[in-house]
Amino acid sequence: MKLWCGAVHLSFEMWAEKYRPKTLDDMVNQKEIVERLKSFVKSRNVPHCIFAGPPGTGKTTAAVCLAKDLYGSAYRERIMELNASDARGINVVRETVKTFARVRSIGEIPFKIMILDEADNMTSDAQQALRRTMERYTQTCRFILIANYSGKIIEPIQSRCAPFRFTYLPREEQDGYLRMIAEKEGLNLLDEGLDAIFEVCGGDLRRAINNLQAAASLNRPIDSKVVYSIAGKANPADVRKLIETAMHGDFLEARKQLRNMIQKYGVAGSDVVRQIHMEIFRSDIPELWKIKLADILGEIDYRLVEGSDEEVQLSALLARLVEAGYELGKTA
Amino acid sequence: MYAAWVVKHKPKSLDRVVGNRDAIQKLVKWVKAWEKGVPKKRAAFLYGPPGIGKTVTVEALANDFRVELVEKNASDYRTEDAVKRFAGLASQYGSLFGGKRIVLLDELDGLTGTADRGGVKAITGIVKTAQCPVVLIANNAYNPRFSTLRNYCLLIEFKKPPVSEVMKHLKRILLREAIEVEENALKFIAQRSEGDVRSAVNDFQALAQGKKKLTYEDVSWLGYRDRQEKIFTVLRMIIYGKTCISAKKAVDMADVDIDMLFEWIYENVPAHFTDPHDLARAMDALSLADVYRGRIRSTQNWSFLRYVIDYMTAGVAMARQNTKASGWIPFKFPGRIRMLSRSRAERAMRLNIGRKIKRKCHISAIRASKEILPYLKIIFQNNADMAVGLAEWLDLEPEMVEYLAGTKKKAEAITQLLS
Repeated sequence: MKLWCGAVHLSFEMWAEKYRPKTLDDMVNQKEIVERLKSFVKSRNVPHCIFAGPPGTGKTTAAVCLAKDLYGSAYRERIMELNASDARGINVVRETVKTFARVRSIGEIPFKIMILDEADNMTSDAQQALRRTMERYTQTCRFILIANYSGKIIEPIQSRCAPFRFTYLPREEQDGYLRMIAEKEGLNLLDEGLDAIFEVCGGDLRRAINNLQAAASLNRPIDSKVVYSIAGKANPADVRKLIETAMHGDFLEARKQLRNMIQKYGVAGSDVVRQIHMEIFRSDIPELWKIKLADILGEIDYRLVEGSDEEVQLSALLARLVEAGYELGKTA
Repeated sequence: MYAAWVVKHKPKSLDRVVGNRDAIQKLVKWVKAWEKGVPKKRAAFLYGPPGIGKTVTVEALANDFRVELVEKNASDYRTEDAVKRFAGLASQYGSLFGGKRIVLLDELDGLTGTADRGGVKAITGIVKTAQCPVVLIANNAYNPRFSTLRNYCLLIEFKKPPVSEVMKHLKRILLREAIEVEENALKFIAQRSEGDVRSAVNDFQALAQGKKKLTYEDVSWLGYRDRQEKIFTVLRMIIYGKTCISAKKAVDMADVDIDMLFEWIYENVPAHFTDPHDLARAMDALSLADVYRGRIRSTQNWSFLRYVIDYMTAGVAMARQNTKASGWIPFKFPGRIRMLSRSRAERAMRLNIGRKIKRKCHISAIRASKEILPYLKIIFQNNADMAVGLAEWLDLEPEMVEYLAGTKKKAEAITQLLS
């Protein structure tokens, strides 16, 4: 049921979509990568590719822009976007991917493009099946695999793909983008607001834009206070409280807080780690301990990638914080 | 004075015995054969798990056929001499006063050890020469001790009656005791007994006696208690294990699967490791167990399961270096599991919103629900104009708007702008 029809409203979209580059020429960052992709367009040929890198750095955008530049207005029929984390089983590869891949497309360019987003979430079985499909239908379909960690893509697929490594946007590029949006949307974005966004989002442009939009919804000048409050609310992960609770030795309470973040608000484990990392260096913990804790964080971050349960991994981290708090108490 | 219901409501005739129709028919046919002379097999050997009505059947049989039943328990005939003492009873079909009789030797499993070996031999002797029907009862007829004896017996297997039969029997009792019982409570008791009618009746009495009405809540804790006790033992073996072997062995005893056992351990470790170093070590072991679970998932190589078990049992047990076992700390049901079922509806809502976002934003529904949804919430709670536009753009359902807006009032403000 829809409650609304016909009425004309100001068009609001998610700004991250509204200001997503439409062509490779629009892409201001990842310059070297964009140049190589443009050369693919010029030669009317694209190899299988892996786009790897952290979130919000333009991987999906680059893939879609490449397809648009290559096929022009008919691009929608020539590409398929599949999200591996929504449909990552082997059957998807067998059915959906194969069906798309094997049908030859008519037109100047004899192949279609399959964009497999979050491919690092595919099971290894599904990846094995994918590898055969890639090989068999190379003539009719090229694959662009998008992943945060290329290491989670099996070796045989990696060796068949041209690798592209995306990196976090440098500060000035992110600032430039946000300023452009602020200007077009008529926002009062203060410099300290920009500082705060970078601190909170660290080069993840999608997150930065979402943050900006949410901040704009408050209809106030966007200063650091607004940004921090948005970031705090957007992250039910009250990480500072979590760290304090653990370091004061109340493990069970800390685990309860963690459980709420993950189960109720669906906070991603990697986000909790990232924020704890940030908090620790901001805190008044003795300098030597900051490094020790960074080491522990790194290890847990790595296990998060390999493990199967975020809460279990993060509560191991909490136990370490309890331990650290106890040791610090002894010396103080 | 309360009589035990198992005695008070014992079936008096064969058609009231719970289940085992085939076995009963076989037995009746054999007893009837005695009227035409001594049959080839002079003894019937009834066997099957406890509490399913073997003895009751023989008693009801004697009642229906109006014959005298001479009943002996294993404790009565432990030795050869003792057996011989009543052997005479079996030597003639008719009793002194002209009636007929059946000799019942119950609980043959009770004959154990070398001292009783003579007992089995003597029984075999009686069976060979019996002049009246001899019925033997044991749980396991295939015990090697009975190998000779078996040759002279008609073997009749008694099986666990189906739940529906047990329920029928319980219903007869509750009618006579005038107790009202919820159907699912009755079913729970019947199921839990796993075909052991005797224990079902005992449980039923323990729960229902003195009550007018028995509800499902009254009985549901029963099963919980059983499983609970078992898992507590297992947890104790792991969390307070002294050696790797003993901690690992606990896994074989657990009747929950590995993932559930992991949850139990994960829930209870913190309360039982109070020393911060021990706690960190124990949680680290669980973290590594989980890493191996992840490796199983990504490689589908299930042989890694042994490392999962190593870390979650021995790894946890060996973490205890400073914490003393102090006092009694109760074990708790995994809170995460409880919470998971409670927050299921909310997660479904979040994912459905995620799906809507996915259609517009080149992002998976799962990631959208985690990364974009929180910002939407802020917008929907602060800026109705912007919310309207986004609701329209994303094609959100009214209940999604309400979820994002947080309160009904704010949701109304938004939907009003929409119409």
